[in-house]
Amino acid sequence: MEDSPLIPPTEPTDPAEHYLVLLNGHERALAAYVHALVPDRLDAEDILQSCKLTMWKQFANYEPGTQFLAWARKIAFHQILNHRRGAKRKPLYSAEPAFLEAVAAEIDRVSDSLADRSEALHDCLRKLPENQRRLVLLRYYEDHDIAAIAKETDRTEAAVYKLLSRLRAALNDCVKARLDSSTA
Amino acid sequence: MNFHDQIDRSFDGQLSPGEWDALQEAVIDDPELRTAYVEKRWLHALLEAESARLPALLEETQWTQPAPVKRPLVWLATAAAVVLFGASLVLFAQSRPKSIVATLIEAENCRWAGSDLPTVEGAGLTAGTLALTEGMATLRFASGATVTLEAPSVLVVESAMKCRLIEGSVVADVPESAHGFTIDTARMEVIDLGTRFGVTTTPLGDSNVFVFEGEVKVNRDDLPEPKHVFAGKSLVSKAGATPQQSDQEVRRVEGPAASPGPGWTAVTTATGRGRDAYLRRGDQNGPTGAHPLLMVKHTDLAPNNERRTILSFDLAGIDRASLRSAKLVLKLEPSGLGFSSLVPDSRFAVYGIVDRAAATWSEIDLLWKNAGPLVSEPLSASVATRLAEFEIRKGSPNRLVEVSADAFVDFLRTHPGEIVSLMILRETGESDQQGLVHAFASKEHPTAAAPTLWLQTGSEK
Repeated sequence: MEDSPLIPPTEPTDPAEHYLVLLNGHERALAAYVHALVPDRLDAEDILQSCKLTMWKQFANYEPGTQFLAWARKIAFHQILNHRRGAKRKPLYSAEPAFLEAVAAEIDRVSDSLADRSEALHDCLRKLPENQRRLVLLRYYEDHDIAAIAKETDRTEAAVYKLLSRLRAALNDCVKARLDSSTA
Repeated sequence: MNFHDQIDRSFDGQLSPGEWDALQEAVIDDPELRTAYVEKRWLHALLEAESARLPALLEETQWTQPAPVKRPLVWLATAAAVVLFGASLVLFAQSRPKSIVATLIEAENCRWAGSDLPTVEGAGLTAGTLALTEGMATLRFASGATVTLEAPSVLVVESAMKCRLIEGSVVADVPESAHGFTIDTARMEVIDLGTRFGVTTTPLGDSNVFVFEGEVKVNRDDLPEPKHVFAGKSLVSKAGATPQQSDQEVRRVEGPAASPGPGWTAVTTATGRGRDAYLRRGDQNGPTGAHPLLMVKHTDLAPNNERRTILSFDLAGIDRASLRSAKLVLKLEPSGLGFSSLVPDSRFAVYGIVDRAAATWSEIDLLWKNAGPLVSEPLSASVATRLAEFEIRKGSPNRLVEVSADAFVDFLRTHPGEIVSLMILRETGESDQQGLVHAFASKEHPTAAAPTLWLQTGSEK
């Protein structure tokens, strides 16, 4: 195969700038990928940090013009396996390698249908009624667990879990409906 | 309770560890459940990943009080630090009780980065991380096991009986007292059963183990049972599809290394009709003209791994009659193949090719088997003439190698034709067939300078 004689002019020639531009464009998708695979949220955030560093260190090996996100996911997947081995703090749930492989393969398989979900989710969140907005913030922004939310909202834990479960189901239905209507 | 309900529960910590394991099994086994899992999990993951933006999205300001601890820009600052300090690594601090578990007994030509352990010879090491960017270092663990670390490597010392290789290469020598000594990588766990062995791993997860003597046991996540590997054998673990250093590498012609002074002209293998490639006796990987590395190795133990590098420089426009001095500059690069602790200080020879037919090689199809007189042994005087030699010390940093000799000047002055070809071969062999393969940057290397011939012409002032 012939070498490309030059870097395409649309890509910045400074590697750091090139990297930041690519990362900026795919950062949210990469974050979702890591959070989807890593059960523990703090672990996921740690892995994401180290992943971005490793990607920068490895950036010379990235072939411009190829899928940056696919390349980034490979590195992230390895970081997840590595982190699992070296974890000093035992998370509540730790994912088995075979499970990670299976879920990662499924994510790759349906990757196209997942790509637009972030935008759709934003629209759906804006349509939520007040009490459900509050629940989203308590659970995901303030990172409260069910017990803490139960205390704060003066409900039983079972009731809070039911609300959350329904909330996620509603959001998922809304996201799917938006995607269907946009492709129809 | 069905597994679909369990999926949702797993997001909120509502499953017992046993239920979580059962759910994992079911997700692995049942494709439909797997699809459902990913769909639900993705929404949950998006909410987690974008949590910082939620208040703005929901147009709620009253909830922007105590936010969870976030580290949004830390990595950018560290990335900037990496830009500044080149090979520096930023590593997680380890928090564990600190007792001395190993001693750094030897550090040859070492440069360290981002290590949280002392890096002077003789230092006692607690659990922690060593990041070696150049050279070779040997650790003796309290158990008696000796581990030699080859740059670039990152090793986490965990206990007297265990370490973890994040990336790089190590050779372990384990006496009876330390049987069971373990080296962990992302893909596998190598447990010594009385032996000398080497382990390499890349940041992308490919891990290899080579056993020089004795036997090791390897646990791998994808193997139902531990695998035993015996002397002379190796086990290779590939992480999915690794980005290949392939011929699709974008060519970025770099400027040559800094000029030795005024009056010098640089000609690289990227100049004009210049070419570079290496020959490997087995020809396993086909022609190498587009490879970013030029490999060199001499071995009597595995003849198919013999490698020689050939360079052609286009001297059109150079006033060779007035040539006064010449030197060849090569950038040493890690080949990622073999262990430098198995090769002593190495001597290399540079030959000038005089056989005109042999010098008309092409990057596209040059192979060992069609290289004819270029690979004859020994190189006959009618094919090539020995011009210079140089040495690369064991564990040498990846520096520029400069070779100059009067014979260069004579050869370049008198060589008929504008294209001059040089051959580089290693004369030092190896003590084990997993010995280091030396490599120099080729003109296809994405960052390092191509092989360069510096020429000083003109009359003396």
